[in-house]
Amino acid sequence: MPTDRPVALRQRVNRREFLRRAGWGGAGMGVLIVGAGRARLSAQPVSPYPDWIPPSSKPPKPGGVLTRASSWDPPVLDPRLTQSIGLFQFAALTSNRLVRYAFADEASGTNDLTLKGDLAESWQSSPDHRVWTFKLRQGVKWHNVPPLNGRELVAADVKHCFEAYAKEGVQSFTFREIEGMETPDKHTLRVHLQSPNVLFPQNLAEPITVIFAREVLEEDGDLKKRLIGTGPYLLKEHTRKVRVVLARNPDYFDKGRPYVDEYTILSTPDAATRLAAFRTGQSDILWLASLGEVETVRKTNPAAVVQEYKNVLAPFGLALAQDKPPFNDVRVRRAISMAVDRQKQVDTLFEGHGIPGWGVPYIYYQDKMPTLAQLGPWWQHRPSEAKKLLAEAGHANGFETTLFYYEYFPQMTSQVQLVQQDLKRNLNINVKITKLDYTTYYGRYVESKWDGMAWGFQSGHAVGLDERTYQYMHSKSTKNFFRVNDPLIDELTTKLRQTPDRGEQRTIARKIVDREYDQVLRMWMPYDNGFLVFQPHVRNMAALALRRTDGYGASAIARLWLDK
Amino acid sequence: MHKYVIRRLLLAIPVLLLSSLIVFGLMRVMPGDALTALMAESGNVGERELRKLREDLGLGRPYHEQYLIWLWQLVSLNPGYSIFTNEPIAAALGKSIPVTIELATLAMLLGLVIAIPVGVLSATRADKPADYVGRVVAVSGLSLPDFWLGTLVITFAALWLHWIPPLGYASLWESPWRNLQQFLLPAAVLGFRLSAATMRMTRSTVLEVLREDYVRTAWAKGLEGRIVVYKHALKNALIPVVTIVGGQLGTLLAGTVVVETIFALPGMGRLTVEAILFRDYPVVQTNVMLVATTLVTLNLLVDLTYAWLDPRIHYQ
Repeated sequence: MPTDRPVALRQRVNRREFLRRAGWGGAGMGVLIVGAGRARLSAQPVSPYPDWIPPSSKPPKPGGVLTRASSWDPPVLDPRLTQSIGLFQFAALTSNRLVRYAFADEASGTNDLTLKGDLAESWQSSPDHRVWTFKLRQGVKWHNVPPLNGRELVAADVKHCFEAYAKEGVQSFTFREIEGMETPDKHTLRVHLQSPNVLFPQNLAEPITVIFAREVLEEDGDLKKRLIGTGPYLLKEHTRKVRVVLARNPDYFDKGRPYVDEYTILSTPDAATRLAAFRTGQSDILWLASLGEVETVRKTNPAAVVQEYKNVLAPFGLALAQDKPPFNDVRVRRAISMAVDRQKQVDTLFEGHGIPGWGVPYIYYQDKMPTLAQLGPWWQHRPSEAKKLLAEAGHANGFETTLFYYEYFPQMTSQVQLVQQDLKRNLNINVKITKLDYTTYYGRYVESKWDGMAWGFQSGHAVGLDERTYQYMHSKSTKNFFRVNDPLIDELTTKLRQTPDRGEQRTIARKIVDREYDQVLRMWMPYDNGFLVFQPHVRNMAALALRRTDGYGASAIARLWLDK
Repeated sequence: MHKYVIRRLLLAIPVLLLSSLIVFGLMRVMPGDALTALMAESGNVGERELRKLREDLGLGRPYHEQYLIWLWQLVSLNPGYSIFTNEPIAAALGKSIPVTIELATLAMLLGLVIAIPVGVLSATRADKPADYVGRVVAVSGLSLPDFWLGTLVITFAALWLHWIPPLGYASLWESPWRNLQQFLLPAAVLGFRLSAATMRMTRSTVLEVLREDYVRTAWAKGLEGRIVVYKHALKNALIPVVTIVGGQLGTLLAGTVVVETIFALPGMGRLTVEAILFRDYPVVQTNVMLVATTLVTLNLLVDLTYAWLDPRIHYQ
């Protein structure tokens, strides 16, 4: 009776059977989806946009107004109290530093790390690298507004500023390594460090170390109301949540610069509005996260100039409470790292345009961007080996843990969930996720009052080698959020500070990175690249590897001009 | 009437006190504080230094002390300074309140201008094509969230018209034309949403009133249709509509948060949300109290409007 069996079969499909079959069906679909993803790996979309735009060969045209719709608002104007990009998107234009990195029109390429004098004309260290002498430019004037009224900048101003940074606020770490300062003459500053540091000038080249006016601090008691410096632009207007207007400083020491008369930053918190502002010509610069978005913009603005911005480091990773079990066991850390499929994250979350993740900018130890394979065995996706390793560590049945995070960008929640799925599926580790608001997340994370896991970060403002090695990894550093406590890392990061030769620095940096990868001290996660989009009349705007022109690299705007 | 008003005002005091306690308590229950937000991304500040800064800002005092100090500041109309920006709160509010009032007023006006005529039209042409169109519009307004509609409006304005409202807020007195351009779209977005509920309420109450005996009498007297509807029916149908409009004020203030963000307007909504995110206690508390006081006052005004609309209503 041919019809009986199907009927009998149908009758046996009860709830449990249905769920079982649905499970297999789902698994099959999963395989198909993953398979499709894998197929895409070999054919990743290639960005048609350059990652470097050479400077214009035409003579610069002075004048014009540059406008940018910005998502950031300065919380306060006091550079001692914040490192917010909201402030430093323009503080680097009102003020100078002692030294700086090369601008796009001076650099040989995105990875050019040459230091140039900003307020300092030259600098040199004592043989033991504990005393640094800076010769200041002569004739540099403060902005011609009360109470400075255009008086000349002298070495005592810089000394006072560094002392104020060391005394209180968010920059104290960098400046507290100063043992003492002296000013043998008006234009010479001698800095005595507590311990040798060949990378001290690099720390002073960070965008946040701007020189502020002592008179303002003395008159107001803080720097919250006025921002007066020696920079190419004067702060003409700051209306909170509306706009920041910068006007050209006619007395700027770099004669002829800046070229643009006025730079207006419009507070625009919504991404769709910033995009619309660019499309309608109300904004000259736009940051986009994905190639798809760039293509959409190019449909309405075909003449827009696009630079692909390739990240040299990942700012986010899985931070483990590695001072406590089970994460103090290197086998557990390695197993977790191998259980995570980073390539899947790059493909699914960042449209194939992402980096697999590392913490020290690769430009400090090699020329080309590392591939996932180059990060070593513990960074490859090898679930079966991961399971064996975890079993060896005594956790064959997995364990339970927690993870908290703040959603810095929309894909981050998916990224955290992918890690959760990988750990559950491959290692039977149950991760309870908690999504927090920014203040709660930040407070809990930096104060190290947590167990289990956190979605860790390293801040984006500082990219110097010292910052990314000693300051973030040395066990005694207050910025060691990932709780690295490795004697070899301590030794290498300290040694790096005492090694002036660039070649040797690269070797030591390589050793630090190799040790970090081998011991899985910080478990970096993939991060996206992005795109800077400019109106066609904007010249000399390219971002260098370390900083974006629309953010911490804003000082480059002094070299930009408008070809209208 | 006077006694009624005074009684209502006296009753408002415990309501406001309770609101102040709730907002004060909620802000303290939330983890983190303004200092943590201010130091964000720095990572350079040690625990000892943070503690000192907290004490300097008064965040280390006992809660009851903080509450009483703030309450006194509020009563003496000097709400103090923002912890986050150090700006006087009165000055921050002085800049943001006019923006929100302008936006809310325009939105309310636009909403009523759309809702009342369409509602009446729907009622007088019940189950006809005009009614169906009106109902579809009303349901759309109820179901489309502000953030979606606002994003859609600004995106399509850029794509189709190659125009969006000029960014960088200008006040009405500073530049009326620029100001109007900046407010028209956001007010339309908010107003459309507000009009939906009002439109539906107007339709149903006008329909109900049109079936009343006195309306039939008016028709029987041979009065013109316009007079019957607008003079006899509408005024009596407006009481529930006024209640709905009064109740929507809270929705309106909530809507300004999203719309102000999308259209980059520096109003109270943005100020409050940012203050919450940065745990700027005095700013959040003052803003919430201001909103609570406004709602209490507006509810009283709505109640008093009933008496004006229906002479049979007396307050004792």
